[in-house]
Amino acid sequence: MDLLCAKPADPTLTASGPVVRTAYSGLQDPSAAATELGISLKHAELGFVLFFCSAEYPLERLGQAMTEVFGDVAVVGCTTAGEITPKGYCRGCIVAIGFDRRYFSVAHALIDDLAGFDLIQAQRLTGKLLEDCRREAPGWDGRHFVMTLLDGLSSCEEQVLATLDTALGSIPSFGGSAGDDNHLAHTHVFSSGGFHNESAVIVMFQTCLPFEVFTTHHLQPREHKLVVTHADHERRRVMELNAVPAAEEYARLVGMPLADLTSEVFARYPLAVRIGEQHYVRSIQGANSDGSLSFYCAVENGIVLTAMEASPLLEQLGDVLAGLRQRQGEPALILGCDCFLRRLELESLNQVESASCLLGRAGVIGFNTYGEQYHGMHLNQTFTGVAIGSRPSL
Amino acid sequence: MACTSTRPSLALPLDLAHPSEPLGGDEDRCLALEEENARLRRICAALIERVEAGGSLGGAPYAAFEHTVLLAEQVRERTETLQQTLLELHKAKAEAEAANHSKTRFLAAVSHDLLQPLNAARLFTSALEEHDLPATSRRLVGNVGRSLKDVEALLGTLVDISRLDAGLLKPDKAPFRASELLDVLAEEYRQMASARGLEFHYVACDIVIESDLALLARVVRNFLSNALRYTPQGRILLGCRRRPEGLEIAVVDTGPGIETAQQEAIFLEFRRLGAGADEHDRGLGLGLAIADRISAMLGHALRLASRPGHGSVFSIRVPYATTLPARERYSVTEVHKDLSNPLAGVAVWVIDNDAAIREGMLALLEGWGCRVITAASLRELDTMKLAERPDVLLVDYHLSDASDTEDGLEVAGRLRKHYPELPVVLITANHDAALKGRARRAGLDYLLKPLKPLRLRMLLLQRLASIPKNESCVWP
Repeated sequence: MDLLCAKPADPTLTASGPVVRTAYSGLQDPSAAATELGISLKHAELGFVLFFCSAEYPLERLGQAMTEVFGDVAVVGCTTAGEITPKGYCRGCIVAIGFDRRYFSVAHALIDDLAGFDLIQAQRLTGKLLEDCRREAPGWDGRHFVMTLLDGLSSCEEQVLATLDTALGSIPSFGGSAGDDNHLAHTHVFSSGGFHNESAVIVMFQTCLPFEVFTTHHLQPREHKLVVTHADHERRRVMELNAVPAAEEYARLVGMPLADLTSEVFARYPLAVRIGEQHYVRSIQGANSDGSLSFYCAVENGIVLTAMEASPLLEQLGDVLAGLRQRQGEPALILGCDCFLRRLELESLNQVESASCLLGRAGVIGFNTYGEQYHGMHLNQTFTGVAIGSRPSL
Repeated sequence: MACTSTRPSLALPLDLAHPSEPLGGDEDRCLALEEENARLRRICAALIERVEAGGSLGGAPYAAFEHTVLLAEQVRERTETLQQTLLELHKAKAEAEAANHSKTRFLAAVSHDLLQPLNAARLFTSALEEHDLPATSRRLVGNVGRSLKDVEALLGTLVDISRLDAGLLKPDKAPFRASELLDVLAEEYRQMASARGLEFHYVACDIVIESDLALLARVVRNFLSNALRYTPQGRILLGCRRRPEGLEIAVVDTGPGIETAQQEAIFLEFRRLGAGADEHDRGLGLGLAIADRISAMLGHALRLASRPGHGSVFSIRVPYATTLPARERYSVTEVHKDLSNPLAGVAVWVIDNDAAIREGMLALLEGWGCRVITAASLRELDTMKLAERPDVLLVDYHLSDASDTEDGLEVAGRLRKHYPELPVVLITANHDAALKGRARRAGLDYLLKPLKPLRLRMLLLQRLASIPKNESCVWP
């Protein structure tokens, strides 16, 4: 294995060096991997490190190694269902971004009681993050954005996000739910030197560089509608669609036998709720033996699901990346949360290579998620993130 | 016919485009329809439940999601409306600014046309005052002169404030000695003060400061005019204080003073406190408003300290220059030292395309004992074949004439080729800072129309003084 696959992602240099540095390591040994990241990322002005790692790493040892390597520099991260490195899609590795403190003032906080997270706490947390950013960089007038990393299996995303978004007000936010390589067993977020589950990390960035928080998907509505007639909202399960067992009705919709319902099928034929003019995909996690379907997001009795179909993903992704580049100039970084179902679709269409090329060229770093977050909304099957320009806006 | 299935039809019950048509016998069809009926009833019930729960936000996760989506949609719509409104506001602002700008241009053009004849009238009355006149005529001439001065002052302030508001007046900063500014002002106001029976003290100071001389002069002039206007008896002091941040030029009076509550208001437009000491005194109450705007533009701090019943101090703080004034002093070539009349015998050339102005200048300068040659253009001057060299040239900037496209600067340049280091005074009604800068770089003096005879006299005396000033002192 190539021991030194880590390298800066983007040759976009300013007079004082790149505004962000990126690195990845495929080494299995946690301390060797962390050391390798440190070699590429550490410099005098390193202010903050964000990483995304495979859930296959021995997490406790990886956490210790990262803390040892980066010392006083704050480190935040999460486990993934696949990483997006400077070279595109990857698995079983760790990718990290180092933010230069001359361009970014970063503050973060851990929410370890998701169920009890209320508006008062959200407001206190927002105030503290703003204060921390100000203290890091007094006198800056740069704008803020927030990245959220949630434990993707905590089933609390909707309330936490809605509450946080209310407190954040006009500060744009986005994020992703941590993954675990499609095992759906142990997803984790990392903060303050340790991995946590049933938790969320909120990271606030302040920067004078131009940026744009975005979300996109490639799915079109079909005319078929399914009504949820029986749901267990606590477990995010739909028992019945159109008053018949949910899995059976879905199988009939897609024209496949029950036994063939795999993640690839769910990725190709998603369901969405329509609110106003927009469709919001509600991804199916799996079919259960009792004939019910489990979802990655909140479901409720009486919601109307619209059958969706995919349009060419690569074409659409290319257009979006080109648009971002046009508006923000040469990007220093695109921090992307890419739904793992999109990756499954690319894999089944044999398009992973082309997608990797596209993402690598555009400077995308990120991970495959179990759900995305955008302005307080919990989304599925989207590509959501922030594009950061390389030249300070006037 | 065999019944293939007892299950309901394979069609989706909500597929409105393709309603299900169960096959088979009556019994089968009946069963299938009943079953579909039951499903539709349950779908209906679920939808009713959802619709009725719609408003409650409780703790349900899906409701939280829906709420956030709707909120985001609202925010998006409002942002769009706001952006649209902002766009319209910007447009309206741009239109208003354009309209204001054209008004200012109009005002500047009109005032330029008004200033020309006014300038001539002023020169004529000044010349007339030099004549031996019977006492009654002298008084009448004096009145005419004062009235003209009032018109000029009123016109000047109106032009100033409109130009300041339109941002057309751009400062042209350069190092100069405080005395260069204050000597002239002191001389001017000493006479006015003594005419009103006031004591006038001037403490000279030749520290080098950096500012726009003309604009700064306007501020100090406003202080002095105010002091004169509101001080019925006592003293007026013009002087400087060295502060760490800069030189504070102050005008102190023993007038009635200003109540603390009024101290801010007097810097607003059209404010006058009480009646002036002089019944003939006319003004628009724009003086301090102009001073305030100019000082803000120059970045000089303006200060007012006052004790009612005791007097007031108006001051402006000007930064010290880091370099010496660039302009060289001209040494005088010839000796025409007549101490009682220092300008006697000085050869002055005047080039102006306005015949009335030429005539007025001739009268004024000859009144001072100068030997004057006037010409409408350089070409006309050339035809005179003059043998004598000039001591000083007064040239109008705006010499536009169909036959001669040269401006005053070019004329000055050409004459200086023949007479190196010839002192030149450029006279113009053009307040453009760029022009002023060009004049300064060319080493020309610069006077604005309408020309004030006293200022011209002071300038001529200064330029023709035989001993160059001491340049050794620079502050800091």
